Amino acid sequence: MEKRLFEECEKCMQDEPSATTARCPIHIDTASFSGEIENDNFKKAYKVLQKRMPLAGIIGMICDHPCEGACVRGALDSPVSVSELERAAVAYGYEPYKNPLAVPKKNGRVAVVGGGISGLSAAFELDRKGFEVTIYEKSDKLGGQIWSYEGKLIEREKIEEELKTIKKLGIAAICGHKVSTDELKTIAEKYDAVYLGTGEWPESLFIDPDTFQVFSSSVFAGGKLFNKNDSVIYAVSTGKRAAVSIERYIKKISMLASREREGSFESPMKYSLEDVKMTPRVEKNGKIYSREEASKEAARCLKCHCDECIKACSHLRKFGMTPKSYGRQIQINENVIMGTRYANKMIDSCTECGLCSEECPSGLGMKEVIRQTRESMVEKGKMPVSAHDFALKDMEFSNSSRFFTLKSPPPIPEDKLEMRKRELITYPRITFSKYAQSIFNGDPPGEEKADYLFFPGCQLSASCSEYVEKTFGYLVANIKEGVGLLLGCCGAPADWAGRQDLMEETRNKIRDAWLEKGKPTFILACSSCCAVFEKYLPEISYISLWEIFESYGLPESAAKGNGHVLTVHDACATRHNQKIHESLRNIATSLGYELSELKYSKERTKCCGYGGLVYYANREQADDFVADRISESGEDYLVYCAMCKDLFIGGGKKTYHILDLIFGENPEKSAEKKMPKLSERHTNRALLKKRMLKEFWNEDQENALTEMKNLIIPDEVWNIMEERYILLEDVDKVIKHSLDTGERFYNPEDRTYLANFRFGDITFWVRYSEENGAIKVHSVYSHRMEVQRG
Amino acid sequence: MKEENEQNLPWICDKCKKNLVLSKVKVCYLGGNFEVDLMKCPDCGAVYIGEDLALGKMLEVEKGLEDK
Repeated sequence: MEKRLFEECEKCMQDEPSATTARCPIHIDTASFSGEIENDNFKKAYKVLQKRMPLAGIIGMICDHPCEGACVRGALDSPVSVSELERAAVAYGYEPYKNPLAVPKKNGRVAVVGGGISGLSAAFELDRKGFEVTIYEKSDKLGGQIWSYEGKLIEREKIEEELKTIKKLGIAAICGHKVSTDELKTIAEKYDAVYLGTGEWPESLFIDPDTFQVFSSSVFAGGKLFNKNDSVIYAVSTGKRAAVSIERYIKKISMLASREREGSFESPMKYSLEDVKMTPRVEKNGKIYSREEASKEAARCLKCHCDECIKACSHLRKFGMTPKSYGRQIQINENVIMGTRYANKMIDSCTECGLCSEECPSGLGMKEVIRQTRESMVEKGKMPVSAHDFALKDMEFSNSSRFFTLKSPPPIPEDKLEMRKRELITYPRITFSKYAQSIFNGDPPGEEKADYLFFPGCQLSASCSEYVEKTFGYLVANIKEGVGLLLGCCGAPADWAGRQDLMEETRNKIRDAWLEKGKPTFILACSSCCAVFEKYLPEISYISLWEIFESYGLPESAAKGNGHVLTVHDACATRHNQKIHESLRNIATSLGYELSELKYSKERTKCCGYGGLVYYANREQADDFVADRISESGEDYLVYCAMCKDLFIGGGKKTYHILDLIFGENPEKSAEKKMPKLSERHTNRALLKKRMLKEFWNEDQENALTEMKNLIIPDEVWNIMEERYILLEDVDKVIKHSLDTGERFYNPEDRTYLANFRFGDITFWVRYSEENGAIKVHSVYSHRMEVQRG
Repeated sequence: MKEENEQNLPWICDKCKKNLVLSKVKVCYLGGNFEVDLMKCPDCGAVYIGEDLALGKMLEVEKGLEDK
């Protein structure tokens, strides 16, 4: 597992502040603040202010709100009126500062010269940090610049009330005392440190922009002396920040450590306005917002935090994860030596579709992390066997002799031999094709090379096997260079399951077939195959079947859309393959269908829920994916992946496969046809092989189906078999074994037999009865635990 | 993992025509070994696992072991 990937996860912006919080020099949590006002909780909103804002009863009224310039709504309509909300929070939520349990003032003594905004802020902070503070103010009262807002933004009584806080805290204030440059030196000697916030000072001072220290003395300065402007909130900020430095100075700890994000900064979080509706700013009718106006304005606040991936992905939503928290959970899981690995199921519930990286403003995604984690689990023997066992066995079936088939282009029928021979020498493209050359070179029949090899994949062959035959017939008729056939599975299940051993085996099998047939171009009909070929077989060039249809034209028999509106659902495995996106759309529109697009389409498409073998590892999660996706449009869906079709129909959505439009005898009916049963998926593949061998090569295949013909399986038992991933061939084996060996239990009460047989690493049990020469199955179940006999 | 109602079990071993008896049986999965009381044929040793046991306690233990 690459450490780099976890480091990437840490770059997730889940915890990053909103743009306004980052811009605010004292970092008020604007999202929580607005949230409280939206819910009419003005007292709580005021507390949010108070948490970071000293003398919030005053500052909240006069703040010069630089945050509004950063509000993301500014790019859409107008920024949220944070300043008016602050004023409303003070007006409706103010509570006089209660003297908390006095903090013992034993950390040292600090003088604050200047009782204006920055001086009071510094004094307030230092008091809370346990310093004994004395303020020297040249005028007869504290407040400085605050008084310039009297009667404009704030009333005298309010200022006086809130300023009482200083006295309540026990901060000493010496008013009417102007400190000279000489006296400052004396004061500096008397106190552990001094904060200078006088607005003006006769000498020029070098103030450190990070620590606010004046040279390397015990004097710190801020407010207008540093800011060179009248900003209220920046004055507050410098006072607060200088207080942090003073504490560190007195305690003799690093004044610079971990202070990168003090003051205004830019949040790296990018908030998407894609789904945000324009809403005008709420205008106030009085001097300040009414409670209702404030709540309404607060509702305009987007409470920005980055959740683009969660918004898009059913899996991240279900488990409440972002790349950051997910990465940490995986690391914990990976490091468990003794004990339970609680995250296994979560890790096996990701479809590895890659949508999260498309949505993430930083391009972070879980696909590669999950893939490598699964491989690591497999390597350590920690992958739950049951998660992918069925899918891997299904793959094994597809690559066994029961389905796997490699054929050169079908022999040319006698009656077409002359014509084909003429074609072979007439058209240079055909003459120089590998197939024609192979014939000229005298390669024996059945061993000819081919320019193309049709590889329909395992799921299309299981779900809509009739289309595979029709497609091959079409290809043979249209592509004169010669098209061979390869039936099998590309290995996608192995890749998803983290089984690199099986992936390698499959890769070699396909590669050998490719070499044997003279390195033909593969014609692929499944998006997962395309993805696997790109990743594991880059040496093989491929073209999607959809592009072939576009180049060679559609068969006459293809259904006519007559304006029927279909919503396109792109396959996630080829989210970056624009050629496929275009071909698919061109085919459907040329047939007269009208297409509508989903918000999440093409490179932003969603997985149907089958990807990553989630369908087997966590069916509930797969169902969530289906429900989420099919709810996005009221129109029927058009897909080009057999599993997307099967899953959506299973969820109740009328879904057309593009081949339903091209070859379907009754596309309407096909769009509602439920997925074949798991056992039928095997049977369909086996029979497809048999039919195609006969139809195109006139070869007979014996024993395509090996199951007993006299089995009676009632519907309810079929349903149980589906739920429990038990196949007809499993049931068949158990019964045959019991008949062969006589090993079974008998229940004289209902005259049923119960037999079991262990193969692979599963023990299957079948309860059956013998009725007039037939065998009726009553129930089936299985377990993985091995029971020792005897 | 105990078989419930083992006394009333209607099953007999069809091969040996014997009633099943409660015996200690070893079961194992993913390196975990347990000895449990299960019904089996006293002659041939065929062990009976009912549907409730297979899909209940047994499945639970299997899942637990898979996450270890």
